[in-house]
Amino acid sequence: MKILLETIDLRKTYKVGKVDVQALRGVSLRVRKGELTAIMGPSGCGKSSLMHILGAMTKPTAGKVLIERSDIGDMDDSDLTRIRREKVGFVFQKFNLLPTLTARANIDVARHIRGLKTGHDAHLAEILQLLMIEDKMGRKPAELSGGEQQRVAIARALASKPSILLADEPTGSLDTKNSEIVLNMFRELNRKFTQTVILVTHNPELVTYTDRLIEMRDGIVVSDNDPIPEGADSELEQPARSV
Amino acid sequence: MKKQMIISGLRARPVRTTVTILAVALEVVLILVIIGLTTGMTQETARRTAGVGAELMVQPPGADVLLATSENSMPLSLGDKLREIPGVKAVAPVMLKMNIKGGIEILYGIDSHFTEVSGGFHWLEGGPSKSSNEIIVDDLWAKDHSAKPGDKIKLLNTELTISGIVDHGQGSRVFMSMEDLSTALGQPARAGVFYVKVKDPEQVQGVKGEIEQVLTDYTVRDMKTLTSLYTSSNIPGLDYFINAVVAIALIIGILVIFLSMYTTITERTREIGILRAMGASKAFIVGLIFQETTVVCILGVIFGTGASFFIQRTLAAAFPTLMIEITRDWIARAAVFAILSGVIGSFYPSLKAASQDPVEALAYE
Repeated sequence: MKILLETIDLRKTYKVGKVDVQALRGVSLRVRKGELTAIMGPSGCGKSSLMHILGAMTKPTAGKVLIERSDIGDMDDSDLTRIRREKVGFVFQKFNLLPTLTARANIDVARHIRGLKTGHDAHLAEILQLLMIEDKMGRKPAELSGGEQQRVAIARALASKPSILLADEPTGSLDTKNSEIVLNMFRELNRKFTQTVILVTHNPELVTYTDRLIEMRDGIVVSDNDPIPEGADSELEQPARSV
Repeated sequence: MKKQMIISGLRARPVRTTVTILAVALEVVLILVIIGLTTGMTQETARRTAGVGAELMVQPPGADVLLATSENSMPLSLGDKLREIPGVKAVAPVMLKMNIKGGIEILYGIDSHFTEVSGGFHWLEGGPSKSSNEIIVDDLWAKDHSAKPGDKIKLLNTELTISGIVDHGQGSRVFMSMEDLSTALGQPARAGVFYVKVKDPEQVQGVKGEIEQVLTDYTVRDMKTLTSLYTSSNIPGLDYFINAVVAIALIIGILVIFLSMYTTITERTREIGILRAMGASKAFIVGLIFQETTVVCILGVIFGTGASFFIQRTLAAAFPTLMIEITRDWIARAAVFAILSGVIGSFYPSLKAASQDPVEALAYE
């Protein structure tokens, strides 16, 4: 399997007043194309910082992050923006839909930014059908339930055909029933489109829907049930580490 | 897509959008009405002066083109000298007095020679003055003052009776005999301007040259070029006034747009964070804000121009002597100034929005 994303001794330090806070203290991991991975850990363990770095929203203090062979640590703001635009799709806990636009327009904005045409698209139609929100496209976020908003947010994230879908506590604002629906949809999307998905959560129930669980604590990975044994990737397509 | 984002963004905040559009409209109104007023008044004065019927006018040495500033310093005997010049058909001395009571106007003190130059008034009501302390007014002045023949008015501390109402466009709005004006002012009868009618209109330049030779240092003007002389650059202080009005309007526009866009982007920090997270470039964010500002400015220009024409008509109905000339040239300039103020006013807010860290912007509550 092709390695899509790799971190090598990733470190992130924030300055809080005069104190340095180490959010990540040497995280190394690999995510392959088509994997549905959960990164789990308690609040403050560094999982959100990891997600922001994996999503090219911020740069690491040290270490390497390779997204499809490109090290984002060497990139300037415009290159990071390009990576977000072309490689990453985000799903947030609070949905983060643009409140003044309809569901359809929210999706079209993502496609417009990506440089895709905003008309009919078979791939998008399939996603909307799978997410069961085809008939909600004319509504504004305030007119949708939490579960519907999150499904629109997922559609928006996937509309630009990203390599990686990053979801930060995607069920954090949903009730149990909607959480189940949304998680099933993540799995369905992963199976149907071989979509690489990384879910960041502190909810242990969520991991039953994923193939792989990476547990974090105090800024480091404490367990990783990677189904592919270490070293097996070396025979497969690998990123150039000298980037 | 951007169009949809801009329109929905503006519609989502109707009060602020309306207030900003009105502020830009105010900027446009300020420019169009005040500049239109100065242009209108000067151009109308020029047309009226040219409408006397003379081909040339002679003013004291160094006199300004504005008759309001002319001094009555020329002896009436100068008229006889002018009449002796070959090619001169008639000469009318006019004593001038600026009156600012109830509006700015120049009173013309005239004698019988005025008719020789102008060809006579077109009477609408009443007739010529038959005794002292009688005045003639034009129709606009009469409408403005709701006056009719026989009415008594007080001008220059003198009670005067309106003898007749004439059609507008022949020099002044208020005419009285030079003798009466001289008495009212307590000054000997002298001329502020001589209007000269030539025998052959083809020979105007030749006669002008002759006059300049006889009356060295005196100012001789060709009436055909008078309208073009009544421009802001030829009228002392008017350029500064116009520049000051434009500058004030521009500053108002810049401050309002700045405040509006600054608060808009502060309110929309999270939205900007979402766009940045989706991969929107800084140029995309700057462009979005500039385009939103431009839409507001264009709407402001449209409303402002419409409001200016409405004000022009309303003022013309209420004050017939008030001339506001709104030209295409100044509408274009006002539009440019409004959009310029939008670009300047939204420059910093747009940069601030574009430089927001996506992580921090998304965490903004």
